[in-house]
Amino acid sequence: MEQAEHEALVEKALRFPDGLPGLPDLENFVIVELREDGAFQQLQSLDNIDISMIVCVPWMFFPDYAPVLSDIEQAELGLETADDAVLFVPVSFDSETRQVFLNLLGPFVVNAKTRVGRQLVLTGTDYSTRTPIELPVT
Amino acid sequence: MLVLTRRPGESIVVGQDIVVTVIEIKGGQVRIGIDAPRDIDVYREEIYEQVRQENLSSVANVEQIREAVQDQPRKDSPD
Repeated sequence: MEQAEHEALVEKALRFPDGLPGLPDLENFVIVELREDGAFQQLQSLDNIDISMIVCVPWMFFPDYAPVLSDIEQAELGLETADDAVLFVPVSFDSETRQVFLNLLGPFVVNAKTRVGRQLVLTGTDYSTRTPIELPVT
Repeated sequence: MLVLTRRPGESIVVGQDIVVTVIEIKGGQVRIGIDAPRDIDVYREEIYEQVRQENLSSVANVEQIREAVQDQPRKDSPD
C-alpha cells in the first residue's frame, strides 16, 4: 500500500456495500492505525461499535503476495488501475500458542478514491486463511 | 431442501437467470457447470465458510490480537 493512499484511508469511513462474510449487516467502517510502521490497523465497524477486527498490510510479511481480482470485481469496485486499490487482510490468533495468522485467502480490497471496498474470497489459489507470521520486533 | 435427480447433461434453473448443469459424474465426483449473471458470486462452500469463520474468530479475539501486534506503549503522537 502506498503511504499516501494509506493515509488517505486512515480514520475516514470505508463502505462495504455487501457487508462481510459472517457479518453481513455491517457496511461502514473506519481504519485506525495501530503501529508506526503501518503494518497493522483496526477495522472498526461504525454500524456496531462493539465489532472490530485487526487487519494487516500483508506485503511486509509476504512481499510476493499477489491476489488476482476478476474483471467483475475490478468493475464493481470501479478500479481502473491497480494503483487505486488498497489491500489489507484479516488477522486471527490462536489463544493457546499466541500464534498470529493472516487470512491471505480473504483480502479486503478498497478503492482509495471512492473508499468503497469488499472482502474477496479468492478462487484458484493456494493461499490459506490461516498463514502464520512472526511479528517484527518494535 | 429441494432434492432433484439429474443425469449428466441435464440442468436445473434457479430463478430467472441461473442454470446449474451436471456435466459429468466420475469416481464419486460430480462436475457442475453454473451459468449465472456476472454479478452473482459463486464459491465452493467450504472456502467461503473458512473466510466467514476466520472473520468471526478475528472479531472475537480482537483485544488479544491488538495487544499482540501493537507497538509497545508509547502512544504519544509527535504532532
